[in-house]
Amino acid sequence: MNTFSLLRLYRSLTRHKLYSVLNIGSLAVGIAVFLVLGLYVRFETSFEKWLPDHDKIYLVQTIWHIEDSPFNGAFPNTMGGLLEQIREDFPGTVGTRIMPTPINVIRNGVGIEEQGAQVDPEFFDVFALPMVAGNGPATLNSPSGVLIDQDTAEKYFGTLDAVGQTLTLTTGVDGKTGTYTVGGVFQNLPENTDLNFKVLGQLPAVQTAPWWYRWGSTSLFTYLRFPTPAAAQAFNAKLDGFVNRRGMKDLGPETPTKWQQLAVLPITAAHLTPAGGQAASLSQSVIAMGVVGVIALLIAMVNYINLATARAGLRAREVAMSKVLGANRNVLIRQFIGEAVLLVALAALVGLSLAELALPWINAATEMSLAIPYALAVPALAVLALVVGIAAGFYPAVLLARYPAASVLASARAPGGGRAGARVRELLVMFQFALAISFMVGTLVLAAQTAHVRSADVGFKRDGLIVVRSMTQAEPEQIQALTAGWRALPMIHSLTLADNSAGGSGTNNANSIEIPGQPGPGPSLQQIVVGPDFFRTYGARLLAGREFDLAHGADDFANRKDGVPVSIVINRMGASALGFASPEAAVGKTVGKGNRTFTIIGVIDNMRFLSPRDATTATYYSFTARMDEYATATLRYSGDLRTAMDAVKGTWLQVAPQVPFDASSADQRLAELYKSDEQATRLFTIGAVLAVLIGCVGLWGLASFNTVRRVKEIGIRKTLGASTRDIVLLLVGQFLRPVVIANLIAWPLAWVALRNWLAGFSDPVVLSPLYFVAASVLALLIAALTVSVQSLRAARAIPAWALRHD
Amino acid sequence: MIKLEHIRRSYVSEDIETTALADINLEIAAGEFVAIMGPSGCGKSTLLNTLGTVDRPTGGHYWFHDSDLMTLNEAGLAQFRAETLGFVFQSFNLIDELTIEENIELGLVYRKANGGNRRKRVVEAMDRVGISHRARHYPNQLSGGQQQRAAIARAIVGDPRMILADEPTGNLDTENGLQVMDILASLNADGATVVMVTHSPSHADMAQRRIDMLDGRVVASAARAI
Ligand SMILES: Nc1ncnc2c1ncn2[C@@H]1O[C@H](COP(=O)(O)OP(=O)(O)O)[C@@H](O)[C@H]1O
Ligand SMILES: [Mg+2]
Repeated sequence: MNTFSLLRLYRSLTRHKLYSVLNIGSLAVGIAVFLVLGLYVRFETSFEKWLPDHDKIYLVQTIWHIEDSPFNGAFPNTMGGLLEQIREDFPGTVGTRIMPTPINVIRNGVGIEEQGAQVDPEFFDVFALPMVAGNGPATLNSPSGVLIDQDTAEKYFGTLDAVGQTLTLTTGVDGKTGTYTVGGVFQNLPENTDLNFKVLGQLPAVQTAPWWYRWGSTSLFTYLRFPTPAAAQAFNAKLDGFVNRRGMKDLGPETPTKWQQLAVLPITAAHLTPAGGQAASLSQSVIAMGVVGVIALLIAMVNYINLATARAGLRAREVAMSKVLGANRNVLIRQFIGEAVLLVALAALVGLSLAELALPWINAATEMSLAIPYALAVPALAVLALVVGIAAGFYPAVLLARYPAASVLASARAPGGGRAGARVRELLVMFQFALAISFMVGTLVLAAQTAHVRSADVGFKRDGLIVVRSMTQAEPEQIQALTAGWRALPMIHSLTLADNSAGGSGTNNANSIEIPGQPGPGPSLQQIVVGPDFFRTYGARLLAGREFDLAHGADDFANRKDGVPVSIVINRMGASALGFASPEAAVGKTVGKGNRTFTIIGVIDNMRFLSPRDATTATYYSFTARMDEYATATLRYSGDLRTAMDAVKGTWLQVAPQVPFDASSADQRLAELYKSDEQATRLFTIGAVLAVLIGCVGLWGLASFNTVRRVKEIGIRKTLGASTRDIVLLLVGQFLRPVVIANLIAWPLAWVALRNWLAGFSDPVVLSPLYFVAASVLALLIAALTVSVQSLRAARAIPAWALRHD
Repeated sequence: MIKLEHIRRSYVSEDIETTALADINLEIAAGEFVAIMGPSGCGKSTLLNTLGTVDRPTGGHYWFHDSDLMTLNEAGLAQFRAETLGFVFQSFNLIDELTIEENIELGLVYRKANGGNRRKRVVEAMDRVGISHRARHYPNQLSGGQQQRAAIARAIVGDPRMILADEPTGNLDTENGLQVMDILASLNADGATVVMVTHSPSHADMAQRRIDMLDGRVVASAARAI
């Protein structure tokens, strides 16, 4: 490229301004979409990769296989004492436990909650957290030492050099308050981690809780370190034998692995591995985003190549002249490719800027903090510029350089690569629109599902509820005082205590309930223990029978006499799981055996406390008036949430100031559970809209190119008697053909993808043909509009002008 | 058949007004063979385009038989062209992506009354100009003379009453030029009105009347003396 060819490039760009803006702009947008979505994928797949030696760290999973249990599958946690037993059986195993525990930092008599964890003294053998000050391993050897992160050091001591300072803490484990000495400050953990602690303390070596060594319980995370993947594999292979040997105690003498297994999972895979029976929603959306990003880039690239090739045809005359003036073929080819690379580089630069501009916005919409790693992005874009540039420049370069100069003139249409070129372009438009239409269908269905989830019946009145989670940490006397205080508040109409609440906090227990007269352990039902007014507070729908009633002394299982069945309420699913034809049929029946013999007094509609991706489970509710242990409180209020929340908090601060108040509305808690899907929907929509936009720009450019190329042909057709209408129909019809065919490709594609996605929901919307028809009609409209504006202009021009045109 | 009264055509571009036609008054009878001559830029093509209704005069009247074509709308003019006119250009103006046969068929596509004999008419037109053996070829596979004969076939396939030819022999060698002139003459003999722009005095001599133009005006109109 010399200055003359640069000048020529500049002229050609400014002469076709709109065309250049569209051409470079759409590629830039494609690159920006790719960058942003690529960042998202990189973020989600980079979890724990910041850890030194992350490829040597493994998480122990507990895998449940209990017939009909709602909690089957692999979970990331284990029994408390597992590591000790592993060490006994496999001497030399390096590992640590992490037991997350809320920690209250007491200052001036008021507790502030921090995320804490208790870990083994060997913690640093597995997690070599970078330290800012102090000594990590030494601190964990002392029961009164704590490690804090930079934020916490700044927050409480105003300095990173907090070693030797003391903190008064209440740990959630034993509820005791004590004074701890800061032995070290570790670097803040990055965003891409599921390890979320800010305060680390020692996990006491001696544990007295009965469940600590109870097989079948899970209470903390166990991590192991292996020198090689092969060593981890070898260890994994020995775990079944280990479980069968050790688990017999609690899981029964017959092959305990029938119920429970253990496995090790690379820590880097843990983030995208769904827990239990959960659908792999996160990994799915990561894949979806990746695909959208790549496709957006692909569409944009194809678009660019397509337009560049098409436009090159319009320069046939310039090339013919250059040849006449003696330019040789190689020079011409080099010039074309040089131009193309330069333009793509320009587009990449614009794309990078667009991504940078869009990121704050994207981060706000998705609550992430993505940033462009320039060290990686710039070389990648340089490669992209070369590849796309050469691809976009090569075909027209060779085509035009070989085009016989003599035949450029005397042709009704400017050369556009001939019939083959036209066919290729039509195929590309088809491909673009097939993807764009799939995206449109996807966006419609995602939006519909999100809206459906948001408005779906959860079985209770989700607005007007406050869930006080910190109630689990209050003492029994405090619970008494709190409930009395709240009941006295004017805006609180009803309140209840239960070991579970909207949003899913609480315990997850499931029990098998034997059906009389049928062999086997019977179906497994989730158990929720509730206090008075539970169903009334939640606004649950009673389908048959009655709710718990304090007046029926026998409803309270604490008052029950030996041998008398426990009164339970079950949900609709529970009724069918237990084999009753209708809710009415269940009322008054007795199920179970032994000390788990129940009389069903009522049936309520299913209540969904969890995310829409978790299946609603068959559940039974048992009742006691004395809910004073590990219960969350749920309050029904009226009026403004802020006012109600302030009043509820006021009471809390009077009664239990040392326990940090933790409450939110049921709406907020559910929204939190729906968040990841809504984020994914939002990102997908942004990507899809941009992809459609790029596709339209492509179509517009191509239509404009084609129309320009055919101005003279239009003139000829008019001399032959074609009217404006004939011409518009001809041009639009020709352009809509690939778009129509694109629908046929898009529909099955979108259908398969969306059916898979919807399968992850327990209550999916119906994949109605309307979504497909709507997307197609929309695509056709956009395409028709895009094309007809230009066709109309060309068709209405005075034919004499067109005939002169070349 | 045709009567032009005070036809003017001027172009305005960036404040400069170019007058291509200044007050043209002209009559052409049915069945006439007229040649238009004059230096380059004097308005010959503009006049021909005006006759062909593919250019709109700035003023004046264009009578075809007894109807004022200036009052027709765009669709009406398109229909008029489809049914009455055939165009032949210096640069042939065949469509590259279509075969010769398809190019010729295009001359019938926009006619409302066609009947089922399209194929037959295309074959007849090709026979008439002697291009049948090239029916399936594409224009760039043909010589200039063949292309021009194909273009004439396209112009006559709809059996137009008037043929407008703008320097039809301008891009052809002597022999091919003569062939084209022979075809035009025979069409005229069969009753078509032919209006032809040419630079060749010998070709102009084959017409019955010669119109000389200069600076957008008709300066002489003389019937050939036989
Ligand atoms: N679209 C146009 N815009 C401006 N001027 C035009 C246009 N078309 C023709 N002219 C001018 O009108 C005059 C007559 O042109 P034309 O009829 O093509 O001449 P001829 O065919 O006799 O060579 C010329 O001066 C030409 O420059
Ligand atoms: Mg001319």
